[in-house]
Amino acid sequence: MKPPTNPVPDPAILEATRSRAAAWPFRSVLIANRGEIAVRILRTVQALGLRGVVVYHAADHKAPAVQLADQAIEITGATPVAAYLDAKQILAAAKASGAGAIHPGYGFLSENAGFARAVAEAGLIFVGPTPEQIELMGDKVRARAFVARGGFPVAPSAIEDDDPATFAERALKVPFPLLIKPAAGGGGKGMRIVREAAQLKGEIERARSEGQRYFGDGRLYVERYIENPRHIEVQVLGDAHGNVVHLFERECSVQRRFQKIVEETPSPALNPELRKRICETAAGIAREAGYRNAGTVEFIFGTGGEFYFLEMNTRLQVEHPVTEMITGKDLVLEQLRVAVGEPLGFTQEQVTSHGHSIEFRIYAEDASRGYTPTTGPVLMLRPPQGEGVRVDSGIVEGQDVTAAFDPMLAKLIVTGKDRAEAIARADKALAEYALLGCVTNTAFLRRLLNHQAFIDGQVHTGFLDAHPEIAAQPELNETTLHKLLAAAALVTRPMRDVADLVPDMHAAIGGWSN
Amino acid sequence: MKRIESKLNTASAEFQANAAHNRKLAEAFKTMQHKVRNERPERDIQRLKAQDKMFVRERLKQLLDPGTPFLELSSLAANEAYEGDVPGAGVVTGIGIVSGREVMINAGDASVKGGAWYPLSVKKTVRALDVAIENRLPVVHLCDSAGGFLPLQAELFADKYYAGRIFRNQCMLSKMGVQQVAIVLGHCTAGGAYVPGLSDYNVIVRGTGAIFLAGPPLVKAATGEEVTVDELGGADMHTSISGTADYPASSEEEAIAIARDIVAQFKRPDKTRIEWLPPEAPYYDPSELYGVLPRDIKQGFDIREVIARLVDGSRFHEYQPAYGKTLICGYAHLWGYKIGILANNGVLFNDSALKGAHFIELCNQNRTPILFLQNITGFMVGKEYEQRGITKDGAKMIMAVSNSEVPKFTVMCNGSFGAGNYGMSGRAFDSRFLFSWPQSQISVMGAEQAANTLADVKIRQLARHGKQLTAEDVAAIRDPVVAEFKRKSSAYYSTSEIWDDGILDPVDTRNALGIAISAALNTPIGDPRYGIFRM
Amino acid sequence: MHHAFKLEDSEFNLELSRAPAGYRLHLTDRTVPVNLHLEDDGSAVLTANGRSERVLVATRGDDVFIHLGGVAYQLRYEHPLQRLAAQSAGSAEDHVRAPMPGSLVALHAKPGQSVARGESLLVMESMKMETTIAAPRDGVIEAVHFAVGQTFDRDALLLSLVAAAVEGKKS
Repeated sequence: MKPPTNPVPDPAILEATRSRAAAWPFRSVLIANRGEIAVRILRTVQALGLRGVVVYHAADHKAPAVQLADQAIEITGATPVAAYLDAKQILAAAKASGAGAIHPGYGFLSENAGFARAVAEAGLIFVGPTPEQIELMGDKVRARAFVARGGFPVAPSAIEDDDPATFAERALKVPFPLLIKPAAGGGGKGMRIVREAAQLKGEIERARSEGQRYFGDGRLYVERYIENPRHIEVQVLGDAHGNVVHLFERECSVQRRFQKIVEETPSPALNPELRKRICETAAGIAREAGYRNAGTVEFIFGTGGEFYFLEMNTRLQVEHPVTEMITGKDLVLEQLRVAVGEPLGFTQEQVTSHGHSIEFRIYAEDASRGYTPTTGPVLMLRPPQGEGVRVDSGIVEGQDVTAAFDPMLAKLIVTGKDRAEAIARADKALAEYALLGCVTNTAFLRRLLNHQAFIDGQVHTGFLDAHPEIAAQPELNETTLHKLLAAAALVTRPMRDVADLVPDMHAAIGGWSN
Repeated sequence: MKRIESKLNTASAEFQANAAHNRKLAEAFKTMQHKVRNERPERDIQRLKAQDKMFVRERLKQLLDPGTPFLELSSLAANEAYEGDVPGAGVVTGIGIVSGREVMINAGDASVKGGAWYPLSVKKTVRALDVAIENRLPVVHLCDSAGGFLPLQAELFADKYYAGRIFRNQCMLSKMGVQQVAIVLGHCTAGGAYVPGLSDYNVIVRGTGAIFLAGPPLVKAATGEEVTVDELGGADMHTSISGTADYPASSEEEAIAIARDIVAQFKRPDKTRIEWLPPEAPYYDPSELYGVLPRDIKQGFDIREVIARLVDGSRFHEYQPAYGKTLICGYAHLWGYKIGILANNGVLFNDSALKGAHFIELCNQNRTPILFLQNITGFMVGKEYEQRGITKDGAKMIMAVSNSEVPKFTVMCNGSFGAGNYGMSGRAFDSRFLFSWPQSQISVMGAEQAANTLADVKIRQLARHGKQLTAEDVAAIRDPVVAEFKRKSSAYYSTSEIWDDGILDPVDTRNALGIAISAALNTPIGDPRYGIFRM
Repeated sequence: MHHAFKLEDSEFNLELSRAPAGYRLHLTDRTVPVNLHLEDDGSAVLTANGRSERVLVATRGDDVFIHLGGVAYQLRYEHPLQRLAAQSAGSAEDHVRAPMPGSLVALHAKPGQSVARGESLLVMESMKMETTIAAPRDGVIEAVHFAVGQTFDRDALLLSLVAAAVEGKKS
């Protein structure tokens, strides 16, 4: 399988880094992840002339990362997900393969401070921030407090930790509607909106039990919920020498169940002045934390142009490609450089943004049925190609999409000289993107990007709820229905065989009777 | 083969008048056929519904492959019998395609007198099975009958070709290795029980289907035993205890679907190969046939104009074009199949009879099926012709027809009178299929002629007793004879008595013959062997 | 109209017959001339009513997946014999199927147990959402097909009820 070409980064930078990489303290990098991000990281690792090692659970044995890696080591677990969370096995695999660095990707152990520490203790390089930085930003309550202390904007809230006894009481004082969030949560999981005071107590209890079940931590905090906010985040990068830059923002407002579906840059909501302010605020926060390696500062952006710190993700994000496309920087390459101790290769002024890039997450889910996950074999896969089209895929033809993992299969990243061109290219690419055997959201994404509100850039986190017609299954027109029935009948043996048996003359006479 | 040059002037008043007349006849035929096929008294429709049964036409629609032709046989059987109360004789037969195979359908029509067997119902069924035997066609029986129509039992029970022949034919088919599947959609009582009993496979519908030699009332009368229909002969009993039935079905749809699947298991026949070219539509428009046939049966016309509107590309290779010109002989292709054609252009003379016999021999030598297009008043009579041996020559033609091994097909295009019917392969001469056109007539002699003959006899008889007859007296003798003759020589009477396999709208003839020829080729063609030709 | 395909929640009856060049699709209200030509690269050219376009088709068992006009569709074939047998054998309410893929979190029913309509039978989890599955009718549990902790796909048969007594079929 030929890996997709990435126009990023600048060939000169790649070449220069590659020569330096020959002298880096490791020859191999172990990627403790799966799916599309494992392929993505592997691509840069191998482009730098390094060996890529991948761990995988048997359920992923046909995955492209496993096929492309220089070495693939099987790991086991009570469930497939559990395997990728098994630090011991992963470290053992690193040892066995001689890998000198571990890239955790996103999710799984990427924001697990304990794991980062264990990697360091094993004498390996963790491609990411320090364990302390992971801990600080991983605890949403601590992170909030830290950012507020630094003078950066945060949303009105009530923190349980401050005084658990009065938590419920203080929560009531935060202007409704509220958002109850687990202190140990993240990625949009475990959050509950409360609109009426009467519901608060019950919702707190439920949120606590969920927090306990999913994150092992039942602590909560409550924030003012801004209706239809926009979710804007800023990519930051810091080195071990105190240099921190931002690489502009990404707008990730189109979400469902608090999970992102579409991300783009630049944000259509920001004028140049606001853009500068948000990005510098993010860089400031990262600088304040002495942040090392790649990270993302997320903000809630209200209709009046006000913005509040939401959380900081101390890892590479799913949607990092759009930043790469407009800045021309390979973020995984930069992560590896920082990890070996190199200083940032560019100043803030040298970070420029050209064009417009949009990423669409390709999920195995049925948008018309409440986005329920779908499963099935990947019988045929034809990703789109063309000008400005990049596909970061974690699946290949012949694999099975199962309920074992997160349903994100791939990312389609489309770039154009402006937003209109990006949208036009995306529409064409999504139409071409064929995956047969498992229902995906490609048709839904096309309906989304063709919706006038999206075209106008009028997005916010409640966008899909506000426009349920986007998710709804459109009526099938008769002509299309006939074509589908015709194609289906013609490939179905019991139907085709019986038709083929009819002698020529009778077929020619047709449905005649005397 | 070159194309027949039509000499018709389709703009002429004669042509237009003929066309209008024959179109009307065709429409009348179609209207009547539609009525016979579909119109039923409301109470009969309701009764079927109440019994959870489908109308026979609906059953056929489900049974037959979509987009394929159905050649129905004898659709107007019994139209002049039983006061017209038994449309189609309560049976539907014909050749259709099921799961890609040509099959003979034998379906009871329970909307007609509960599907009771009248004498003509039996005759129609026997004929269908004879066709199946001669052409090696698998049979699908759709059984739904109330049994024999008791008031007429003397005409349907005891004789050689009466009801018993149905079961004998089934046994012959089985012996020949030609499969039968029966779908029991109603009661199969007494003799009727043997239809599924003698079929290689059968399917029975739970609740409505039943098989028993005697139903509950008769059983009670005979032995005093009280038993329900289902206990006595229902689907579950026969499919799980007695083994008389093979597949139980919960509905008629399911039963028919199972039957289709059974037919799909039948081995496909080895078709006899004959000369064939890719088919081509006739060059001349077949609807011009309406204008070719004259309004008056006594008027002659060139039968080549009929041939030109039946055969591929209207191309015809005429044999002995200059000799025996009252019988047109030659080769053509029809739906691709190479056939020999004998067609009348007048009375049969010595030369035409000889030519006919000779041509039949050529077709047998060549393994070419033969199509007879009848428009014949008879052989030439008179001293000159008797001296020339017209009887011998006619005998030779009949000898050739009777012993022909290649499949024969006959269409009564216009008149079929007297011994001409024999020489041109009438019903008694085993044509695989025989069809009539709506305006055709068939009798031992023309109605007028017969009336005159009978009147003559009467007049002379009365004259011997000294009686003289007025013109009115003569008319009083002649007219009823003419009327009776005309009635009993019409295509409708012929088809009612099942002397033919159905009336065809002339424009449907090409398709019907194509289907017929295809069906006939399921049987191998033997080597010809003739008796003595009186030289 | 023997054969059928299910698309979303609708069922379409249809038949296929051969035409001199290509095929005919028979639907309840009309007939459409159609043909499908497979190309070397795995794609196909579909012709319907005289218009041709490129499509992608893949099959697995009774499922047919088609990519047409930029959208992917899934149809499920129903063989006439299966459809007709299913119509008579037991109703849909005897089978409790998974509305979405997931895993079994809690089981409240066991074989032999009597349940009332609406009573909770089991709890399943999917994408961190829990769903309770209730009995579609009063009945008795015949069998439970999954254990707690096991995962299943959408439409998987989770649990069967003892077939309701068949009301006497009309003769």
